[in-house]
Amino acid sequence: MHTPLSYFRVFVTFLRNSLVRDMTFRANFLIDTISSTVWVFMNLGFYVLIFHYTPMLGVGTGWGKYEFFLFLATTLLINSLMRGLFLSNAVELSERIRTGTLDFLLVKPIDTQFLASLGRIEWSAVGPFACGLLLMVYALAKLGVMPGPATAALYVLYVLCGVAIYYSLMIAMASTSIWLGRNRALLDFWFYITNFSRYPMEIYRGPFGTPLRHFFTFLIPVFIAVNVPARVLVRPLEIRSPADWALPGFALLATAGSLVLSRWIFQRALVSYRSASS
Amino acid sequence: MLARAATSWTILRISLQERLVYRGDFALGTLIRFLPIITQIFLWAAVFSAVEAADASRRTIADYTYPAMVGYYLLTMVSRAFSSMPGLASGIAREIREGTVKKYLVQPVDMLEFLLLTRVAHKLVYYLVAVGPFALVFWICRAYMPGWPGPEVMAAYVASLLMAFLLGFFLEATIGMIGFWFLEVTSLLFVYMLLNFFCSGHMFPIDLLPGTLGEVVRLLPLQYLAYFPTAVMLGRVTGPDLACGLCIQLGWVLFFLIAARVTFHYGVRRYSGFGG
Amino acid sequence: MAIIEIEGLAKSYRVYQKREGLGASVAGLFRREYRLVEAVRGIDLSVERGEFLAFLGPNGAGKTTTLKLLSGVINPTRGTARVMGHVPWRRENAYRRRFALVMGQKNQLWWDLPAAESFRLHQQIYRIEPARFERTRDELTEMLSVGHLLGQPVRELSLGERMKMELVAALLHSPEVLFLDEPTIGLDVVAQHKIQLFLREYQAERKTTILLTSHYMKDVAALCRRVVIIARGRLIYDGSLEGIVDRFGGEKIVTLQLANGKAPVDLARYGEPLPALPPRAKLRVQREVVSEVLGRLLAEYPVHDVSVEDPPLEDVIAAVFAGVEGNDEL
Repeated sequence: MHTPLSYFRVFVTFLRNSLVRDMTFRANFLIDTISSTVWVFMNLGFYVLIFHYTPMLGVGTGWGKYEFFLFLATTLLINSLMRGLFLSNAVELSERIRTGTLDFLLVKPIDTQFLASLGRIEWSAVGPFACGLLLMVYALAKLGVMPGPATAALYVLYVLCGVAIYYSLMIAMASTSIWLGRNRALLDFWFYITNFSRYPMEIYRGPFGTPLRHFFTFLIPVFIAVNVPARVLVRPLEIRSPADWALPGFALLATAGSLVLSRWIFQRALVSYRSASS
Repeated sequence: MLARAATSWTILRISLQERLVYRGDFALGTLIRFLPIITQIFLWAAVFSAVEAADASRRTIADYTYPAMVGYYLLTMVSRAFSSMPGLASGIAREIREGTVKKYLVQPVDMLEFLLLTRVAHKLVYYLVAVGPFALVFWICRAYMPGWPGPEVMAAYVASLLMAFLLGFFLEATIGMIGFWFLEVTSLLFVYMLLNFFCSGHMFPIDLLPGTLGEVVRLLPLQYLAYFPTAVMLGRVTGPDLACGLCIQLGWVLFFLIAARVTFHYGVRRYSGFGG
Repeated sequence: MAIIEIEGLAKSYRVYQKREGLGASVAGLFRREYRLVEAVRGIDLSVERGEFLAFLGPNGAGKTTTLKLLSGVINPTRGTARVMGHVPWRRENAYRRRFALVMGQKNQLWWDLPAAESFRLHQQIYRIEPARFERTRDELTEMLSVGHLLGQPVRELSLGERMKMELVAALLHSPEVLFLDEPTIGLDVVAQHKIQLFLREYQAERKTTILLTSHYMKDVAALCRRVVIIARGRLIYDGSLEGIVDRFGGEKIVTLQLANGKAPVDLARYGEPLPALPPRAKLRVQREVVSEVLGRLLAEYPVHDVSVEDPPLEDVIAAVFAGVEGNDEL
């Protein structure tokens, strides 16, 4: 009578339905894809401009032009995954809380967080994602580096960790709509916080930079998200001292911690849900 | 004549009252808008230190020292506070699309004037609230700010800021008017936003652009939205160049004022042509 | 063993006062004024399997809140409830698979996609076997005559058609319990009628336990034998629809048809005159004195025909609700 619940199959249905929807509004889809891709290139232009004046970001940080391109590619991959998988869903979660249509998610026999986080996939994020891949290939070629299978595997792992950390932050912020009411600033907040991790964390030094770096590494680990995978690619695994394990090891811890904490926040939010009345 | 002035004053007054309700949001929002600048400041610190490490005698990039660069970014926030017009073009396009633009055609209120007055009200309240956060930030960063300039420079700065406001307004209004011909203005708006971001001096000083690229960008009106007023305040544009720059800025203001009027006029004609 | 058991269920929540102005907002961060709203104040109810029950009550009475508590959407402040043996607010998947919720004022179908796509998602989520899914879907769409609209985006459907699709979606997994919150609100008479017929047929066939809230007496009269009145968060009546009149209706309507075609002028002595065209006369009479008044009327006037009726249900109920508004304690 019942087939076993397959979260994977439900997810595939999400992908399919979202694709159908995106193709229905083809014009919008194209505009979104093109505009986000163009945005990527313009930013790239700015960075090319900076490297026109200096060969490296910071002193002895190891972030030269093509190394930075690898960093940038990592940023693109993670950000486009966020935009494609989770961003619209987080915004819609706030809307559902406001209008009370969250009710319908709560009565379905499937994990509510899963339903709320992945219901809508934005296929237009494929554009920037592809740009990220291309940029990565280009930079690797220019550097004359070919990452081995171990490095590649670690890279993928840490990109996923990065996405998980970003996701936890996003879903936690969206959940607060239950307590704070209209959260119009959600998208803006998201932009402001992730804006800090646009560049390698080494640029944050000095009396103000160091506390900032510690804050975004240990408290709200957005720096972990992009920096760790980027470093894996730029400085392939060189275990010279225990210290080299520290950050990647902490990254795994931070990922697990973020996921657990954000799920807890989400569940607490559901308990406090009021369900806006008709 | 007097009646029109009275109407304008009423519009302004009501808009002011309406905006004052949001003053809490404004205060917090202003501080938050400084956050991306922090990242830029650290980025440039890294760039400058690398430049200096490579060659100890070189301390400037395109004639900017590091403190000057920081000062530049902080000052562009002021220019942007004058020239940014959030929701103007999209609002006009939406009103055209939804048909609510009819109310301007029926009532004895000029659309452009109405929008301008509401913008002025919005900006006045915003400045009232933003003065605090801005002063705080500038005081904290006083080491990077240029000293108080002489009265002529101050006057030129204020003039360029006011013109930046008008330029920003009429430019975006013109774009919004395109809505009379094309329903979807979003793609055009996006292109404008993109160009604005990169060519107005918001993201980096235009002086950084090398050669022909720099010359082409300087021909665009966009530099007068963020770069030019800041450059004036930093004392990078002086004497005849300053006078010239101000004139060109004024020229662009007038150009877009006329463009907005003309597009409105013909747009309305086209609009009314369709089933009243 | 009742399929739904509710004991002392209550839900109250704080509504914080929003303050205007910067100073007040900052002060509001430290100490906020609030008002306690008691939406549901202790309800006891027992429902057997296969019953078709209606919740009546004025707006804000707590009907919808009760339904939401029973579907596990919100948590109660105190009290217990068990539906099919499950505690609803624990939101166990095993429970959620067995009931469905339909709300007349909220849509759950994907707006831009054809209903068929939303149904497919339902199938995946509820783990319905493909063959059974298709059979159920075809049955339901045929009963509601919306089969030809499956491929059309939901936003292009009329309100009535959309509501029918929502019903189909809710019933695809053959729930044992169905919660309907104002399903016919805003629909035209024809659509309302069709949905009534459908619900009656469906319930008779499947013996689904249905809880319905509605403001339309026609829905309630046509479908439900048992009616529960909730007012101010409390249950004030539980019984049949006719019983409401007996319990709350203090008056009867006497209609006279006069033989001489003349309207009597002093009926006010016997009761409250109601508008009527001669040769008819109508008046409202207190129930206890009906026979006495009738006797006097027949003696005094040349009455050709007489009838004694209950006042319209709507009037009685409206009076009950209005009475509730006036009273603080019931």
